[in-house]
Amino acid sequence: MGRVVLIFRLVLADVRRHRAQAAMLLLAVTAATATVALGMSLGGASDALYEQTRAATAGPDVVVYAPEMGTPVAPVLNELTRAPGVVGHNGPFRLVFATLTSRGFASLVVVHGAAEKPGAVDRPLVTSGHWVRPGGAVLERGFATALGARVGDRVTISGRTYPVVGIAVTAANSIFPWSSGIGPYGGPSDGGGLVWLTHSDVKALASRDLPLAMAVDLKLSDPAAARAFLDAHRDPSIRVNFATAQFIAEQDSVMLRDSQPILIIGGWLLSFLAVTGVAALAAGRTAEQTRRAGLLKAVGATPGLIAAVLLTEYLVLALLADALGLTVARLVEPAVASPTASRIGNVVGPSGGVIVAATALAVAVAVLSSLRPTLLALRTATVDALTVTAHRPRHRPLLTALSALLPTPLLLGLRLTARRPGRAVLHGCSTAGALITIDALLTFHVQPRWGYAQHRGGWGAGLSGLSNLRDDQNGKLLLSITVMAIVLALVNAITITWSTAMEARANMAVARTLGATPGQITAGLSVAQVLPALPGAVAGVFLGIGLYLTVGRATTLPILSMAGAAISVVLVTAALTAVPARVAARRPVAQALSAEAA
Amino acid sequence: MKVSSAVLRARGLVKQHGHGQGRVRAVDEVDLEVPEGQTLAVMGPSGCGKSTLLHLLGGLERPSAGEVWLAGRRVDTLSERALARLRRRSVGFVFQAFHLMEELSAAENVELPALLAGFSRREARRRAGFLLEQVGLTGRARHLPSQLSGGQRQRVAIARALANEPLVILADEPTGNLDSTATLDVLRIFEELRAAGQTLVMVTHDERVAATADRLISMRDGMFVDDTRLAGDATGWLGGLIGLEG
Repeated sequence: MGRVVLIFRLVLADVRRHRAQAAMLLLAVTAATATVALGMSLGGASDALYEQTRAATAGPDVVVYAPEMGTPVAPVLNELTRAPGVVGHNGPFRLVFATLTSRGFASLVVVHGAAEKPGAVDRPLVTSGHWVRPGGAVLERGFATALGARVGDRVTISGRTYPVVGIAVTAANSIFPWSSGIGPYGGPSDGGGLVWLTHSDVKALASRDLPLAMAVDLKLSDPAAARAFLDAHRDPSIRVNFATAQFIAEQDSVMLRDSQPILIIGGWLLSFLAVTGVAALAAGRTAEQTRRAGLLKAVGATPGLIAAVLLTEYLVLALLADALGLTVARLVEPAVASPTASRIGNVVGPSGGVIVAATALAVAVAVLSSLRPTLLALRTATVDALTVTAHRPRHRPLLTALSALLPTPLLLGLRLTARRPGRAVLHGCSTAGALITIDALLTFHVQPRWGYAQHRGGWGAGLSGLSNLRDDQNGKLLLSITVMAIVLALVNAITITWSTAMEARANMAVARTLGATPGQITAGLSVAQVLPALPGAVAGVFLGIGLYLTVGRATTLPILSMAGAAISVVLVTAALTAVPARVAARRPVAQALSAEAA
Repeated sequence: MKVSSAVLRARGLVKQHGHGQGRVRAVDEVDLEVPEGQTLAVMGPSGCGKSTLLHLLGGLERPSAGEVWLAGRRVDTLSERALARLRRRSVGFVFQAFHLMEELSAAENVELPALLAGFSRREARRRAGFLLEQVGLTGRARHLPSQLSGGQRQRVAIARALANEPLVILADEPTGNLDSTATLDVLRIFEELRAAGQTLVMVTHDERVAATADRLISMRDGMFVDDTRLAGDATGWLGGLIGLEG
């Protein structure tokens, strides 16, 4: 017990002394675990929401659609309601393909005729207002949310104006914008909103020469046999579309089809950035940790205790960040899992498997980042550990000779880079990671777009279509990940610059005694960061292109913007690292030399 | 030996550390003139302000009050950039802890000041070779500092200080980390520099080393308490007399 208390006291003392570094580790690992946990949690989220909505609304097992194009289809649908295995039904009811305008927005809609008192199958759940009544419209909740419509608003459906009397959800249709189930004349659907009117109102609307269809909701005695039911009742003589509950649920999941890979790949990139940042941080503290290990050895600590002290700090912080990340994922998941508001219910949050995976990721970040400095500290003999100031850099004659041909800032920068090539690689990787996310965002924004529920000829002056929710969601996720990646990469750049400056402070002080100006030292430190950032940026662009071509199904690549982003990242790195570099370069020379000699 | 006008001057030089009651005057109203070609030794116990004085003279620290002039130019008011340029051409430092760059070879360390001063790599390399020969380390040019003895490292540091033919060399306890043989090697080099007319100010607490200078100033509590002209025959008969092994 005493041993555990001792470890935690030592860890706590060290965390207190290095609060900024602890905060950085927390930030990096939280961002990574939250993103990965969120991405992994989305698997099955739309299914879960569909099932909860279905249970709450007595959702049908099969919905049958038939376009009305001269041939009466009601008898066929009525016959299906009496088919073996059918234990309940709603309809047949009429569908009218119309357009709806409200608040300056316009959208294609499919209007369902509904009984004023819903039956046993498909009982839409009214979430505000009340169910349909003559002259009043009920909007499907996902559609209403996209439209910004509320109960009491007025909507115009193909020339007729109705008050919105209610907002409801149903499991008989896919989420907005895929609520229509069938397109006009039995063709493909461009998507659209769902509106319920009374049967008589639909009949009145149908008289306005709009495309029509009939539909019926069926409840089967064996819902698992829905596919067999479809196969048994296909009628080649009449155009009928079947939508099983499974099909509707699958259509729902299309909304998240890109969100999940964006989050998971983004999460791994953020994890990569976390590893690079924390590893750079740990490397910068190697000398201090080695000396700490030496002190512990000198007072009789065993290698096991020392390893526990050195690793526990990173592990504890990583596990804390993991808990934070999982909490963030839990809080954000409802909004990400159900961007349309077409479904009710709760997502269950990160499952046991997701928690294990995120925790393993956090532990991996901590161990990968701190294992090498810990092993180095353990292997260093006690006396050497007590006197060590920093791991001695290797002599690199070729680079030294090459740098001698360059102007002073480049000479200093190249030599600083050569002192710690591992850190330069980490910096390059960090830059590449940020570039991949930036280029993903740029690529996303140049892809050809088409909106759902849009009129092909446009809506005319004063009206605009509804935005593409799926693209909006993907854009927001990409933007969030890009911002997090940029923040982590910037923090990494500052950390690496500062640790480079601190480690090289004696050398830089000597250079100043030899006549290097503070400006040249600042520029040298900045150059030392820009040199690895350059190949990192180039690698980021190429890795990004490879990623989008293989995973992202990109049809257009904004090469010029990508090149611009790479150049910008390098310039921002130069500008940003100039700040800590300048602070370090302005430290009094005599003080730095005295500290080194002490 | 050539002794002429003052190359280094200080007037009313003060350096204070701390604030309020904790304020300490490391250098207290010091006046100093170092003629060109003179070898000056500043002696005193640890903490008396010798190193601080050297830092002030070399522009590594700024005085709290007073003036520092180098070659007729006031330097204490210069910007950091101008000071750096001045150091580049006019001042060479030698430190007790050598302060060589560990990842550079002896030759690379020595050529660095010339590179910083804008000389070509070839010229910097030529000078480094010449200077390493002067200090007797031609065969060690490619060695890293970690592969050299303390005395050899200090000779590399001296060669580095001479790289740009400075007006003055400021040496802070140059033999403080050396055994007597290495100390003698260093003093021999200083003697050669003195013979060549190089101005040298060295801070030491070793009387045997101080005895090799032209002039000895004793410091106590930040002030000069004695200023003595010496015979100044460095390591020849004096070296033997003062107990350094030849």
